[in-house]
Amino acid sequence: MATKHHVVLPGEPIDPSLIPTHPKHPLRLGPGLRHIPPEDIVPTVAGQLITNPAKNSMWIEYNSNRYIPSQNDLVLAQILRSTSDFYLCSLSPHTAPATLPHLAFEAATKKTRPQLAPGQLVYARVSLANKHMDPELECVHPGTGKADGLGPIAGPGCAFDVSLGFARRLLMARSREEGGVGVLEMLGGEEGGGLAFETAVGRNGRVWVGSESPKTVVIVGRALQETDRLGLGLEGQRKLVKRLVKEVK
Amino acid sequence: MTSTATPPRLAIPGQPLGPASRYRPGPGTHLHNGHLYASLLGHVRITAPARAPGPVKRLTKITPAPAPAELPTVSVLPPSSSASSAASPSGQEGAGAEQKQRRREVLPEVGNVVLCRVLRITPRQAVVTILVCGETVLEAEWQGVIRVQDVRATEKDRVKIYESFRPGDIVRAEVISLGDQANYYLSTAKNELGVVLATSETGNTMQPVSWKEMRDPVTGVSEWRKVAQPQPQ
Repeated sequence: MATKHHVVLPGEPIDPSLIPTHPKHPLRLGPGLRHIPPEDIVPTVAGQLITNPAKNSMWIEYNSNRYIPSQNDLVLAQILRSTSDFYLCSLSPHTAPATLPHLAFEAATKKTRPQLAPGQLVYARVSLANKHMDPELECVHPGTGKADGLGPIAGPGCAFDVSLGFARRLLMARSREEGGVGVLEMLGGEEGGGLAFETAVGRNGRVWVGSESPKTVVIVGRALQETDRLGLGLEGQRKLVKRLVKEVK
Repeated sequence: MTSTATPPRLAIPGQPLGPASRYRPGPGTHLHNGHLYASLLGHVRITAPARAPGPVKRLTKITPAPAPAELPTVSVLPPSSSASSAASPSGQEGAGAEQKQRRREVLPEVGNVVLCRVLRITPRQAVVTILVCGETVLEAEWQGVIRVQDVRATEKDRVKIYESFRPGDIVRAEVISLGDQANYYLSTAKNELGVVLATSETGNTMQPVSWKEMRDPVTGVSEWRKVAQPQPQ
């Protein structure tokens, strides 16, 4: 179970008593921390220090405005144009486009590959990301060849922008307990009146909401954006959902 | 400009040196319209031919012009080269076997082994700048390209550039083509070619572990590179 500590600033030395120890596992540093040999652990971003003594790991939860791709992230990309071997996709505005090979889809051969038009949204995984090269995406698991939910987004819906920290909390396995975000479950449950919709959350700060009814898309999109913007807790999210459902009715 | 004049001792680019019927072109010269001209700024050196030309004049016989192997070689060497070390008069013309007669490789040629630094990497190639050609540090930096299919000899289609080179690495490569206007084409597809010096992400010089791995001795973190096999000195 992760323990939340105080907010740290870049370069601030971390109190050695906060660093977890474990008899068997070596200490693992997550995003935002840097090890300067021999003993210093220094944050490189401003955020909340989190430690997990069970797995002997520590990292920083931070909210930045610029998405920096990292390997195995799930992102919502938009096709910009197509070259001979790959699609060029935008992960965030005014950054280098990511490449998505034509054949990186499930059961794709040169003759039977999906033809995607510019502007199409694609749910993909980052396969290569480092500071020296433009990022690369894939829509298929490299080992098994299955899509696992990746691929072009189909169906009526709309994409909304959220902050990176909110997107990360939405993507957590137990977003309600660990991330404090339950708004999607509330909208589909009793507070929201059982709305029918589906979502695709990208770690790059984009969420696609799809539903047959445009009203549902609007309600869900506004709920997400206002939860993010106002920083609402679970109680605030409940009230927000009820208010939005009543307004649109 | 008479054809019996001896070539000048100092030459500037474009200076006529003599007719092609009397001299063979060596390094630093070029042929144009049957005449030899200097290409570089430097001293003119005439090397005697491998075997002395046979008697040319006979009253009762018309002999053909001396064969090209019997003509002396004229070359222009830049002034910073060993102008003090005179060429051996026995005339091993430019074979490069003798230490006294230093052949200056001013330009990389096909087959030369060069040292270069990686400038940037893309999924299809690594762009490098050639620093040293053979044993000579070049004055100008020439740009080269190592394509992904020339990185190694086996499994060419599954090479990942990010696991072979990184920007800032020093690489030993072989020139395979003079290429186009912008780039030489280089290859590291041999055991003794590849990364010779690399810095880890933390800033320490790495030591080779195997042909595809280098390790940072301070932090213990290893990184993927296409490593050159260390050669015995």
